[in-house]
Amino acid sequence: MRRTMLYLPGNNPNMLLRGHLFGADGLILDLEDAVSRSEKGPSRILVREILKHRDFDRCEITVRINGLDTEFWRDDLASVVPYGIHGIRVPKVETPQALKDIDDALSALESMSSVPVGATKVFCLLETALGIWNAYDIARASARVTAIIPGGEDLAADLRTSRSKDGTELDWARRMMVIAARAAGVDALDTAFPRIGDEEGLRRETEFAKQLGFDGKSVIHPNQIPIVHEIYDPTEAEIEKAKKIVQAATDAAAKGLGAVSVDGRMVDLPVVRRAEYTLERAGVITGRGR
Amino acid sequence: MGFTETPRTAQAGTVESMDCLVTISASGERRQIEISGGGVSRFRAAMEQKINQVLDGLGSSENIAISVQDNGAVDTVLGARVEAAYLRFRGVIDA
Repeated sequence: MRRTMLYLPGNNPNMLLRGHLFGADGLILDLEDAVSRSEKGPSRILVREILKHRDFDRCEITVRINGLDTEFWRDDLASVVPYGIHGIRVPKVETPQALKDIDDALSALESMSSVPVGATKVFCLLETALGIWNAYDIARASARVTAIIPGGEDLAADLRTSRSKDGTELDWARRMMVIAARAAGVDALDTAFPRIGDEEGLRRETEFAKQLGFDGKSVIHPNQIPIVHEIYDPTEAEIEKAKKIVQAATDAAAKGLGAVSVDGRMVDLPVVRRAEYTLERAGVITGRGR
Repeated sequence: MGFTETPRTAQAGTVESMDCLVTISASGERRQIEISGGGVSRFRAAMEQKINQVLDGLGSSENIAISVQDNGAVDTVLGARVEAAYLRFRGVIDA
């Protein structure tokens, strides 16, 4: 479940050590934008030591490395991959070739450590028009790719526009992300909402992203977590209805019946799948383990 | 990464909560350690042990003075800041 993934600045011990207490589904230890050039080295050391020695409870741990067009990304990977992170976030992915480079670097590091080759997942940030255009091919470029994420500020800049309150400029990119992700069988995760104090704006944007089909959203402040969870969590009524549908489908299958009826209405396979997804989100049944 | 000219003084860390500021400078004696901050009276021995462990692990044999201004850093953070300050002192990472 990736309803929320919280960015933590890679040079801030306070946030790195306490970030898991805020209840996000995942943490993103950030070595990129949150860290100034002169602090890249110390941050890499700090993040490495915290990964080696600290516990993050049940949070999914990813590290946002510096871009493949920088001198930093290989050292970033070498500092974190041997210590059992779930994945890396790669900024500004534009082509499937980038995944080949990442895949090779990860495999080399995994084979030199106790991490099984292929275990480190890749979350691709698509922050340029070219990246968005190649979304499906990028998502299919490596079995490591677990999610694609549209950019926010960088993408708006590349599109020669700016972030607006209603997000018009990112509308098409978001829709494209969901279609590409579903076609490729990976998660679609939405970009972070930048205005920390604007709870209504966050709520509106998250509801829109959920309606489009996004699996969750990056967050940049702990206060954003409960709002996003509230929108993504199924209500009691939704859970009860989903249980009924799944039970009816199970009973019908046991009797060799194709048709399923719930509360007097015929239910087809897509509805059953949606009900199963609702129960996954509610933690009632286990997910597909991506 | 390569060695560059060794600076006289190098720092890593901050004075923010749960962090520490580590300063390393050339000294006339081998490895002088000075620690200041709220929890020092209780944790001095453990902190000195961590600092020595990190520097020994990095192969440090120079005459250096290490000053730690602590603001509640756990040993993981202290170790990371000592390592970063020392690597800066040696010119291995950017100052």
